[in-house]
Amino acid sequence: MTNQPHIPKKSINVPNIVSYSLVFVSIILFIWFVATRRTSDFKLYLITDNYGELIWNGFVNTIWISIVALLGSVIIGFIFYLFSITKDKYVGAYLRAFTSVFTEIIYGTPLLVMVVISAFVIGPAFGIFSRNITGLLGLIIYISPYMKNVFQAAFSSVGNDQYMAMDLFGFTPYQRYRYIIIPQVIRILMPPMMNNFSLIIKGSALLYVLSFNELYYSIVIAQSKTFAFVEGYLLMWGLYLLITIPLSQLTKLLERKWSL
Amino acid sequence: MKIDIRNVTHNYDVEVLHDLTFKLEEYKSVAIIGISGSGKSTLLRLMSGLETPTKGDIYIDEQHVLEPDYKKHIGFIFQHHNLFPHLSLEENITLVLEKTRGIDPATAKETAYKYLSLLHLEDQVYKKPKNVSGGQAQRASIARALSVDPSTIFMDEPTASLDPILTFEVLSAVQELRGLGKNFVFVTHVLSFVRDFADYVIFMHDGKITEHGTPDILDHPKNQAFKDFMMKVK
Repeated sequence: MTNQPHIPKKSINVPNIVSYSLVFVSIILFIWFVATRRTSDFKLYLITDNYGELIWNGFVNTIWISIVALLGSVIIGFIFYLFSITKDKYVGAYLRAFTSVFTEIIYGTPLLVMVVISAFVIGPAFGIFSRNITGLLGLIIYISPYMKNVFQAAFSSVGNDQYMAMDLFGFTPYQRYRYIIIPQVIRILMPPMMNNFSLIIKGSALLYVLSFNELYYSIVIAQSKTFAFVEGYLLMWGLYLLITIPLSQLTKLLERKWSL
Repeated sequence: MKIDIRNVTHNYDVEVLHDLTFKLEEYKSVAIIGISGSGKSTLLRLMSGLETPTKGDIYIDEQHVLEPDYKKHIGFIFQHHNLFPHLSLEENITLVLEKTRGIDPATAKETAYKYLSLLHLEDQVYKKPKNVSGGQAQRASIARALSVDPSTIFMDEPTASLDPILTFEVLSAVQELRGLGKNFVFVTHVLSFVRDFADYVIFMHDGKITEHGTPDILDHPKNQAFKDFMMKVK
């Protein structure tokens, strides 16, 4: 009962480290070049002095609405996925058709349009006038078909043979997902799901049209009060990168950790 | 083992089996042979309750194969080992025993080791399916099928995806299982295995059982289709 699997030692990839360092140096040189050749003064303090708190709130809001949108779209996306695989002859056919038509419509819809329509047209039609809620719902609905695709790709990686084996041994539906399907698909699921999360974070900026105080909106306000447009956009750029780069690094880490 | 097939018809897009009726008693190891598309795999799947016939009924040992309880008493080996890829060979067995048979972890581990050793995999228990050879993985799936103590084991061309050496390795491991007292029903193209292991042979052609009997029939095929088949596989 020995013979543990042989795990190769991780060696440090020197050429990789060198190339990444060179890239960082080039970027810093580029920034330095651009900064020294600027034609007007750079007054970041105009924004940070008076609007720091507003922007900080916007930053925090962007993070939490992105998380809510992620959870919401994962749940609705999973429901769409279930719709797309139902085998029922009549109801199932309707649900499959619905999912497929809905997906096509969303794929061709700009997110901005989706957000505006859900806040000003669809929400009020259902008696919901809070634009924060309807706007967020619009974002969730918009991302859901993309999440559905993530589920479709991941779950199709569990072959038919395995389902037959689960059937033969008599695993209950809960046991199938808990012990067999989820542990296999989670590794495939995570990276594209994180990509969608990036999409959500950037997409959340469009909620500014509803005067929702997220990062983009808070900076636009600060810009309009201080006229420090360039500084505002640079700050915005930096703050978005501050969220998305750690996230993509985390994705890569999970990918490596969970790869089969 | 008692096999009782009554008026079974089965369609996919085309009719694969047509009004098949067949009865057999007192044989422990039954081989089903025939060319591809003759309906032999379909018959095997129907007998194991994996698929529901369009029409007709099948009883194995006097139990209807579609009774929910039936699958607890059978094992099925597929062409390709269908082990769960994220679990080690041992975990593939213990998961089944613990979750579907309610066996405690210690006993499950013991049982897993017992059957994996029986199939000469005692050195591979902690490996994942992708880290062992195709023949070893197929043997592990046989060990898994045996671990739930089935009375009948169905095998659908268990060596079809293996090269000749691994085929030999798997089939000789199966032959050693004769002493376990299990019933076997299997589809295969390896005639030497049929001669060595089967005590009854069914030849299928165009969705019908056209010839059947003890393995001697392989040497004296009567109808033309069976003669052609024997000519081609020799």
